[in-house]
Amino acid sequence: MKIKRRTFLQGMVAAGTAAALTNKVDRATADVSDSSYATLIDLTKCDGCPDQDTPACVMACRAENEHKYPEPDPAMLKPYWPQTKFEDWSNKRDVTNRLTPYNWIFVQKVNVEVDGEMVETNIPRRCMHCDNPPCVKLCPFGANVKMKEGPVYINPDICFGGAKCRDVCPWSVPQRQAGVGIYTKLDPIPAGGGVMYQCDMCKDRLAEGKVPACIEECPQEAMVIGTRSEIFAKAEELRQQYNGYIYGDKQMGGTGTLYVSQIPFEKIDEAIVSKADDPEKAMRVHDTPYNVIDNTSHWSSAALLAPVAGAIGAFAATVAVKKRNKQEDAHDENN
Amino acid sequence: MMKTTEKILRHSNTVRIIHWSVAISGMLLLFSGIGQMPMYKRYNVVLLPGLYWVSDYNITLVIHLIAGAVFGAAILYHIVYHLMQKEFSAMPRSGDVSESIIIIKAMLTGKEEPPHGKFLAEQRLAYAAMGLTSLVLLLTGLIKVYKNTGIVILQPEFMTATTLIHTIATPIFLFLFVAHLGAFVIKENWPLFPTMFSGYVNKKYADHRHPLWNYKEKK
Repeated sequence: MKIKRRTFLQGMVAAGTAAALTNKVDRATADVSDSSYATLIDLTKCDGCPDQDTPACVMACRAENEHKYPEPDPAMLKPYWPQTKFEDWSNKRDVTNRLTPYNWIFVQKVNVEVDGEMVETNIPRRCMHCDNPPCVKLCPFGANVKMKEGPVYINPDICFGGAKCRDVCPWSVPQRQAGVGIYTKLDPIPAGGGVMYQCDMCKDRLAEGKVPACIEECPQEAMVIGTRSEIFAKAEELRQQYNGYIYGDKQMGGTGTLYVSQIPFEKIDEAIVSKADDPEKAMRVHDTPYNVIDNTSHWSSAALLAPVAGAIGAFAATVAVKKRNKQEDAHDENN
Repeated sequence: MMKTTEKILRHSNTVRIIHWSVAISGMLLLFSGIGQMPMYKRYNVVLLPGLYWVSDYNITLVIHLIAGAVFGAAILYHIVYHLMQKEFSAMPRSGDVSESIIIIKAMLTGKEEPPHGKFLAEQRLAYAAMGLTSLVLLLTGLIKVYKNTGIVILQPEFMTATTLIHTIATPIFLFLFVAHLGAFVIKENWPLFPTMFSGYVNKKYADHRHPLWNYKEKK
């Protein structure tokens, strides 16, 4: 039996129609449960620890995670061929005013003009632990994972240090250290660039029933952790109390970190951008951070359904041909 | 008087359309998948004329998803179509490995090849290898795509394994793809190349190299 081009196309049209119909069923899966962990950061309470050289949350994080910090092989601290540079923070471990492989939280200080007055705003910044994290979903080695409990975690044993996670994160949170990780085993093959590091929400402490170190040591109790439902309720309560604003509940399709502020985040964001040496690299609190996963989910749905469409198309085309052949045989017999 | 050459139908329209759908989408998947590794910026591919965009993950991801849709649809069409037609001539058979060794020896030494059916034993093995690798890539790719359809969180260990299998299967697919094209370096295979475009092969060639192929019985 031979399938003619017309029949084949009929099959493909049938398959395409089936795909289009099934594609209309919009997915609304939300695997982030209400009982997973979320955190709240109250910007009204956070004062940036003005009496200390380094904010307490930053010091606590460093003390807690010091044993996880990279110890690079000096021989591997060399340019990523054919590039002429490499990323090494091992001799800048004391940097605390930005994210680095040795500093997983920092307090961003910015003066925001409110009703003609300049108000100092302190924003503890670290991984937002997104609900739909592009860093996790696009890592080609599966090194980044989103745990059901809420944390986003990078496995240093698998990470190749390609820094794609940083590129797709609108806040450029993961930071790369050269000279460590699986890529060193491939040397001199020029592949990989180290390991990416970031806040893991102190997942090991959470497993032991403790709160993250930064939260435990905050003297202002500006940071809180709880179940997602508790934190979202608390954030809404504070928002109403302050007649304020929430950041992180809708951005990126939702995150596990909610900031509550009396000052609109648009104003804070404007101040961050205007203060930045390079606005393109500023760690912003913009309303529409770009999530490549959210923005391509319709293509993902189409790709998921396409094999079904192909199978239906082949079935429909073959059945159509068999039916036509049967009719032709009957016609021949009658003649 | 013009001399005409009798032709035999080797690949139907359906087979050729599916073949080229898989081939073209496969090439696009390799190109966009390597872009997702990420490699193009690292190795300065972005500096080549007209390729400044290849390090943009948004673009290569959309290309990968569209090509993946075509690839997945074509593979399932192929499987269902040939199952319903009960056509299994490309499937490996017992003795194909040893026969392949004989064929390769014959090609290298210039000796007479054993008689073939529609497909050579090595072609059936290559089909199985490519088919299996494609199915692994398709299955792991679909799992990866599923988690991207929304806020879907799968077991981390499962996702890591799935992602690594997909990434490791990619160079295997690339190797098989190149080997498939490399088969046409061998002169004896040249007459098969145009058949993927026209569908037809010379009867004389078919009778000489594929005497076990009973093409007259083909529907």
